[in-house]
Amino acid sequence: MHSYTLVITNTWNEILTYRVNFVMWRMRNIIQLAGTYALWLTLLAQGDSIFGYTREMLITYILGVYLITSIVASTRTTEIGTDILNGNLSNYLIRPLNYFGYYIARDIGDKFANILLTLGELTILFLLIHPVLFIQTNILILLGFLLALFLALCLQFILYVLVSILAFWSDDVWGIRFIYLVVASFFMGAYFPLDMLPEPFFSIFQALPFQYLLYFPLKIYLGEMPLMSFITGMLVCLLWIIVLYLVTKMLWQKGIKSYTAYGR
Amino acid sequence: MGDNLRKYSKIWWMLSLRAAKVSLNSRFGAVLFIVAKLVRFFLFLLFILVLETKVQTVSGYSLWQMIFFFATFNIVDVLGQLFLREVYRFRQYVISGDFDYFLLKPFSPLFRSLFGGGDVLDIPILLLSVLFLFIATMHIGNVTLGGVLLYLVLLGNAFLIALAFHILVLSLCIVTTEIDNALWVYRDLTQLGRFPVDIYHEPLRGILTFIVPIGIMMTFPAKALMGVLSAEVILFSCGVGTGLVLVALITWHYALRSYTSASS
Repeated sequence: MHSYTLVITNTWNEILTYRVNFVMWRMRNIIQLAGTYALWLTLLAQGDSIFGYTREMLITYILGVYLITSIVASTRTTEIGTDILNGNLSNYLIRPLNYFGYYIARDIGDKFANILLTLGELTILFLLIHPVLFIQTNILILLGFLLALFLALCLQFILYVLVSILAFWSDDVWGIRFIYLVVASFFMGAYFPLDMLPEPFFSIFQALPFQYLLYFPLKIYLGEMPLMSFITGMLVCLLWIIVLYLVTKMLWQKGIKSYTAYGR
Repeated sequence: MGDNLRKYSKIWWMLSLRAAKVSLNSRFGAVLFIVAKLVRFFLFLLFILVLETKVQTVSGYSLWQMIFFFATFNIVDVLGQLFLREVYRFRQYVISGDFDYFLLKPFSPLFRSLFGGGDVLDIPILLLSVLFLFIATMHIGNVTLGGVLLYLVLLGNAFLIALAFHILVLSLCIVTTEIDNALWVYRDLTQLGRFPVDIYHEPLRGILTFIVPIGIMMTFPAKALMGVLSAEVILFSCGVGTGLVLVALITWHYALRSYTSASS
């Protein structure tokens, strides 16, 4: 356990070593938030609500996207593909620690740094622009939201790992990751709530696992998820996690057999 | 002057051919990148369409005008990627000391660092954007030859501003050896130009026009074609473009003096 704690600390130190890069990374997030926020404010200026979302609901959704993305999307698993491609994976395989445990620890370090800074940035934003927010006070709904968030973390980790281990068979793991990021960020509802889409797009987006990364937890927080939809959603999300975990495990076992430590 | 132009054209052609061969070396990877970029293009188009179904006009702009702005954004964005992709690899040259080789060659190290490897994978998106530009122009109507010429002039000016940003990023890299997120900050900022900057409220609109001239790069060319941009604003835009390039060149010469050739 101590080894993994050290990995978390090391990840923090690593982040703080390249300070300019880190400040720029945070700036990127602020710019993205400012753009989305400003766009929706303009659209909301044309009426009290848009696509059935009131001003406070939509602003809460947008700021929620910012916060949840910093928790769910921040990751170090991008390094897995590189480890496989340049043979560095061998270094980890001979160490007395679990390779995925190592990356879970790295992700925890990375996520903590991002959460802390996101909260700081959101606080400054509140003080500057006083956004009207929807505050959920129902404890049960909040617990449901936290549970959905935890499942989102698990799902995202598995999806990231799944994409990364394709490096066992292809040098083009960056291309695969790029297409994943493009599709996932759109299909998870990072740009707008998915129920703004007309049919059949909404149904297509709902059939994919990505909505559980962002849209689903946020809809729970907003109190717009009836009990039956909540239960069904959680079960489907759990099913996705189990299926994708099994696929990832199978691919890892196959991949590790074909791994030749090429590049070492 | 003529000889120099011929020499640099030849160097650019040779470097671009080499970069194209590298990019197309893995056809699967190339296909993945192109598909991802196309998916992103069409998903944003879908987003604009969805918006227009609910709000008819966004800040007074019709659907086809919004598509025109979006296509212009893509052209400016892609031109930067197509010609200036080498900037993304610059950090590696600096930290490995390979930048020394650029300094030893009998041609400008800045030229080599900027134009050393265009991204041919952006050509499909460029062609698609031009196609949508034509379609949108036909729907907008009332387009004059003067408007088209001004559009092209301001498009050239947008490329100058993009060039200046990239030179500033190269300079930052020499001074700090950290560049990755600085480039992405630039990309995120330009992405606010997917929509005309007029739709944003102040102070963001002012920032995007006068401090970070995204409006000048992305919005002004389209507005010139629509005939809603005054001569003073056009002159001001060209002044900003030229001024920024001069500032960037001064910064570059300053940064070069602090290059230590570490790791070489």
